[in-house]
Amino acid sequence: MTVQGESFSYDDAIVRKFMVATFIWGLVGMLVGLLIALELANPAVNLGLPWLSFGRLRPLHTNAVIFAFAGNAFFTGAYYSSQRLLKTRMFSDALSRFHFWGWQIIIVCAALTLPLGYTQAKEYAELEWPIDIMIAVVWVVFAINFFGTIAKRRERHLYVAIWFYIASIVTVAILHIFNNLSIPVGPLKSYSIYAGAQDAFMQWWYGHNAVAFFLTTPFLGLMYYFLPKAADRPVFSYRLSILHFWTVVFLYIWAGPHHLHYTALPEWASTLGMLFSVMLWMPSWGGMINGLLTLRGAWKKVVEDPVLKFFVVAVTAYGMATFEGPMLSVKSVNALAHYTDWIIAHVHTGALGWNGLLTFGMMYWLMPRLFQTKLHSQKMAEVHFWFATFGIILYATAIYSAGLTQGLMWRAFDETGRLQFPDFVETVVKLLPMYWARAAGGTLYLVGMVLFGYNMLMTWRKRPAKYEVPVQTAPALISPYPPPPATAPAPGGVLTRFSRAAYHRTWERLPLTFTVLVVVAVVVASLFEIIPTFLIKSNIPTIASVKPYTPLELAGRDLYIREGCFNCHSQMIRPLRHETERYGEYSKPGESVYDHPFLWGSRRIGPDLAREGGKYPDLWHVRHMDDPRSITPKSIMPSYAWLAKNPLDFGGIQKRVDVMAMLGVPYGDAVNRAEAMAHNQAQALAKSIESQGGPKGLGDREIIAMVAYLQRLGVDIKKAAPGTVARATAGVP
Amino acid sequence: MKLSDIMSHAGLTGYAEVALILFISAFLGITWYVFSPRQKRSMEEARRLTVDDEPIRPPRPQSGADA
Repeated sequence: MTVQGESFSYDDAIVRKFMVATFIWGLVGMLVGLLIALELANPAVNLGLPWLSFGRLRPLHTNAVIFAFAGNAFFTGAYYSSQRLLKTRMFSDALSRFHFWGWQIIIVCAALTLPLGYTQAKEYAELEWPIDIMIAVVWVVFAINFFGTIAKRRERHLYVAIWFYIASIVTVAILHIFNNLSIPVGPLKSYSIYAGAQDAFMQWWYGHNAVAFFLTTPFLGLMYYFLPKAADRPVFSYRLSILHFWTVVFLYIWAGPHHLHYTALPEWASTLGMLFSVMLWMPSWGGMINGLLTLRGAWKKVVEDPVLKFFVVAVTAYGMATFEGPMLSVKSVNALAHYTDWIIAHVHTGALGWNGLLTFGMMYWLMPRLFQTKLHSQKMAEVHFWFATFGIILYATAIYSAGLTQGLMWRAFDETGRLQFPDFVETVVKLLPMYWARAAGGTLYLVGMVLFGYNMLMTWRKRPAKYEVPVQTAPALISPYPPPPATAPAPGGVLTRFSRAAYHRTWERLPLTFTVLVVVAVVVASLFEIIPTFLIKSNIPTIASVKPYTPLELAGRDLYIREGCFNCHSQMIRPLRHETERYGEYSKPGESVYDHPFLWGSRRIGPDLAREGGKYPDLWHVRHMDDPRSITPKSIMPSYAWLAKNPLDFGGIQKRVDVMAMLGVPYGDAVNRAEAMAHNQAQALAKSIESQGGPKGLGDREIIAMVAYLQRLGVDIKKAAPGTVARATAGVP
Repeated sequence: MKLSDIMSHAGLTGYAEVALILFISAFLGITWYVFSPRQKRSMEEARRLTVDDEPIRPPRPQSGADA
């Protein structure tokens, strides 16, 4: 039989584009990270500018490093490896370019809107609805291009890396769409359709799986391609890689609720999340061992080759992070670690170690191939490796100690049974040396990044005048699949076919069926979690005295969201003794039923605010927002002086109330006269501030809405009888 | 009667365990498949894809003009 060869070439121009974008956004994302690290060590670093304040830049940092840096790195590797593994050019060059430019425009939009305070207040899903739509469109184009490439492939087998890419593409689409469902209030403002515990549940179903399907599975695909390539030997065990794949896809989806231990989430859901998280440890380590054992017999190369050095430390970091993750999901460990820097340390082991170093290794391997010349300096790559590794060690050591220190201080009781550190700021001041050390570690890592960029630039300058595009030849796939050899016995019953794994071989050849199976795995797991939370009434008992926010408080809540207060302050008191001692009665699910979106938070850089209402006089808040250090000398909270200067947008309040009412919040009379109600409450509150000796004329400033909101937090539940008017609304006629 | 009323009274206390059983069955099925001896050749072919991903070239003519 003659082999009919078909000629084709690979599109490496698109890979080069994604590679350069990865570097540029990586540099930006890490610079912002360093800036906010310095702001925590010294709040004056933000220069008093709203758009440089921590609350607004923190989401920019996370979005830039996750979606811009790691995202572009995934696309770089996926476009390079998929064409070669499938022995075909990408389905459409035009779609590839659309994907590239579309993604970069989305990143620019994120970089413009987040510092300006446009945010949905959901971690890693902060971008507002028009950008969410753009993401969905670009993602679908990517999917069409990718599945089109699979359809025209010339290689029968789908290598396991392609499986990981498929799972990532379909799951990210599902997660993105369902978590971002919201009703627009304006061109860059929307309210989540979910509220309170349900919103929290959706968010962490998304949040944890964003880590899984944006930072883990795509990079595992890259590992399974580029590590064997660089080591020049096949993966240690292909069987293990398949087990790794299916177990990771199956288990990750369930793990999200471990972000909500001891919160107002139903107990069964968080136990389920914990159980599946602990199980995840095994496949993850299977993957790590598979990666490391691929190097068996090639360890000598690791000494000489910076690419393999990056890979070895990246895979080791994956192993450490995936041991730590399951450990952190155990409730008793979580009780200590949650809301502290321990979690920040955990994600940075994963992000800097696993995603960062794997990306660098992959790109040092790609550079000579894509620029068709020798790498400018092997030595510099080596230096980059050591800078990055020591940077991670310094960062992690400092921030792990910070997390443990603060967690232990929060729960410390003295011999008389009282909190040993009742003043929250004491537990913050203790961390400052570690915050400086963290910034130093981050600087080392960033220096490595600059060396990487310089090396790439110099290699690029040595490129040939015109890139050579080698013509490849491969036989087309014969369709349909040839029947099994005549020696094989005819297929028997279902069981016989199953035992011969005939079914799976058929699925593997059918990317569509395979994709459907991945979707089924993801959707079934998700439904098992979501349906009871959304449909069983006893999961979220309502509390009669909990009423919706007044129009003015709602406007204040939106300012709280704009300024990103939830990045540093939680609104969720856990049923642990030290928490109820410090903050008051623990939070109930019924308390946040009108919270679109929920603002439970995930980190306490400042104290919890769930019971803030009525704790201090109104004037205290005005002064504290203007200059926190005039009230708490050691506080690291930035000043929000602009709130007392900016006029409050009363005109926009009615629309906000209307959308809330549309989402089922019982606003009653306010749907007709929200603006007037807001004015009345603002005037009454401004008068009260004045009578306490505060500044005059705050009645039409943003600060008034913010104070109204803060004074409302957690007060409803203290009311004995339902139907009473909230404290802060007393001035409303 | 709303859907949430039906769900609330459906007695779904064992719901979480069903998920666990589902997962373990899927896991056993996949393990069976992966380690079945029939898969040996196919697995080995797939395993070598990264190192053999240069396309299979058609046999070159032994002499004479280029193909």
